[in-house]
Amino acid sequence: MIRTKISRRTVLMGTAGVTALGALHAPAIAQQGGEPIKIGAVLCLTGPGAGLGQAERSAMQLAEKMVNEAGGVNGRPIRVLIEDDGSKPDIAKSKAEALIFNEKVPLMIGSSLTASTGAIAALTNGEKMAQVALTGLGPAIELTYKSLYHVLPPQPLNARAMLEYTKAQNFKKIGVLHDSGYGQLVYNSLREQAAAYGVSFAAVEKFEVGAQDVSTQAAKVRAAQPEAVYVIATSPVPFRGARQVRITQPIISAIGSSPYDYVRGMGEYADDIVFPEFLVGEDPEPHQKAFVDMYKAAYNSLPKNYEAAGWDALQIAVNALKKAGPTDREAIAQAMREPYRGVMASYNFAAPDLTGIELSSFVFSKLVKTQFTRLPFKVTARS
Amino acid sequence: MTTTLFIQSLLAGVTNGCVYGLIGLGLSVIYRGSRVVNAMQGDFSLVAGIIAYLAMERLGAPILIAFLGGMVAGAIVGWIVELLFVRPTRKRGGTEESFLLVTLGGAFAVSAAALLFFGRDSHPVRGLGGNELLDVFDAAIRVHAVWLIVLSLAVVVALRFFYTRTFIGKSIMAASIDADGATTIGINVPLMRSLTFLLGGAVGGVAGVLVSPLITIHYEMGLLLTLKGFTAAIIGTLGNPFGAIVGGLMLGLVEALAIVFVSSGYKDVISMTFLILIMIAIPNGILGHRGRAGG
Repeated sequence: MIRTKISRRTVLMGTAGVTALGALHAPAIAQQGGEPIKIGAVLCLTGPGAGLGQAERSAMQLAEKMVNEAGGVNGRPIRVLIEDDGSKPDIAKSKAEALIFNEKVPLMIGSSLTASTGAIAALTNGEKMAQVALTGLGPAIELTYKSLYHVLPPQPLNARAMLEYTKAQNFKKIGVLHDSGYGQLVYNSLREQAAAYGVSFAAVEKFEVGAQDVSTQAAKVRAAQPEAVYVIATSPVPFRGARQVRITQPIISAIGSSPYDYVRGMGEYADDIVFPEFLVGEDPEPHQKAFVDMYKAAYNSLPKNYEAAGWDALQIAVNALKKAGPTDREAIAQAMREPYRGVMASYNFAAPDLTGIELSSFVFSKLVKTQFTRLPFKVTARS
Repeated sequence: MTTTLFIQSLLAGVTNGCVYGLIGLGLSVIYRGSRVVNAMQGDFSLVAGIIAYLAMERLGAPILIAFLGGMVAGAIVGWIVELLFVRPTRKRGGTEESFLLVTLGGAFAVSAAALLFFGRDSHPVRGLGGNELLDVFDAAIRVHAVWLIVLSLAVVVALRFFYTRTFIGKSIMAASIDADGATTIGINVPLMRSLTFLLGGAVGGVAGVLVSPLITIHYEMGLLLTLKGFTAAIIGTLGNPFGAIVGGLMLGLVEALAIVFVSSGYKDVISMTFLILIMIAIPNGILGHRGRAGG
């Protein structure tokens, strides 16, 4: 298990924050007793998904402290058992097996990548137990699982958020620069829905994940003279490449490209780039502020989408445990199947996409000279 | 296709070609002097890039001092690799395959250490001329990329002079071609092998400080650079420094032109097909004969 220390001052501040959030529906600090209720979590703490898993773990550990300080679950403390799957589905499965059958956890959280989530879901579905996945909806088989809930949006919804902003800016001719992994998934969804938004693609250029130079691809996009450019990748390289070949048009990106480590890698090219996401740490929405303050006090850094997802996942689990008790796995899974207002988004796990996140949960941020600012734009009309 | 796009692809091809060539150059230097295929070459560049970055951003060192520090760091890492990994393996009768595996393991270890101590972030490094761009018929090239091209060619010329005109260069070649014969005429063969890795590390360091401002530093970049550099060195004949640069330029240009004339999705297919054809037609690489004649 991997644990980090959080100061008593942070815990006290956080407790106040949780109360202010109202997300826990928690009573005042209660007397705790009895054995801790174990919650299983498998995250990608190393390997390609480490950037997601480490952010999620930080917030989950903070949430665990806050929940226990606020009285735990019906007077019993919780204990989150976090395991690392190394971003590999086979390891995720074996770690989940140990948690489910040896530790006998009543529900699972994780994992951070779609393949690992699917590996765990095969187990949780068989056991009819709840799994709160820190991914968007994956392969079609996930729709047949009755107790797999996602706290991140599916790619079609990410694509719609990008297209909504594009339409609002009246951009019709778009260039696309995307990687062959995450970028390809988002682009596939963009391609399917673009016509409905009156958007056409003037140039679409792909590069392999990990590419160190994309200047030729960027030059092809520039030559097509688009009104705006979609850059979608899990790397800062294409953003630098686009600006270095003098693509001066606005860049619209996706949530997966928004982590701070990518932005730092962009250097001074992190400018005039818009992201549809859920949490702008520099300027959070009112219902997110307590979480942001608490996180900043604990870790001296600002949280972003994946931290918020980790926080929400544990709060959703705790909420269900409070309602259904800690022993009946099916009842816990059933208790989750209702709307929940989280820090990151509003969820409805009874929805067909096992997420229920609506476009109205998106906020839009813009990088201006390396700093995120929250835009006034919101999608309100459709979901 | 516009003229600007064509020129832009040529500029990108030449710049990337020099990046590949510089890594291949270090590989060739080490192979030439020790017959070791060094899978850590890109990691020498990673270490050099990190040192240069830290010197500039944490210590406030001027860019040239930081680059020099990076180059020295690359040389030191090269020397340490020879001392700790290669020499003990050779003493126990290690073969070329053993050296490849040992250095491959070392490459993963350096990458993991970079992740541990330097973090997962990509770090942008300041370049010569900052982020200034030069206009070439409406296409753009960074001033730093021009420096990279010029300095790559300068390193090739300097190495040629070193191997053909200096006593140490000739001694390294003698120790590599016939270790026993070199020993009988008084050449310190182990020292020459250490110097080979020192030189290969320094070339890797030069590559690291010149490449980092173009691609940002990331803990996984070492092995990616090694693979491209290895391809460049093979095309141009492994062991021939001039060949590595020629091979790198060919690879860079084929990649760039494949994107423009075919599709970015087929870039690697086309470049690897090109490599296969080269290997079938000229198994020793395009400068194979010159390589055997001493570069």
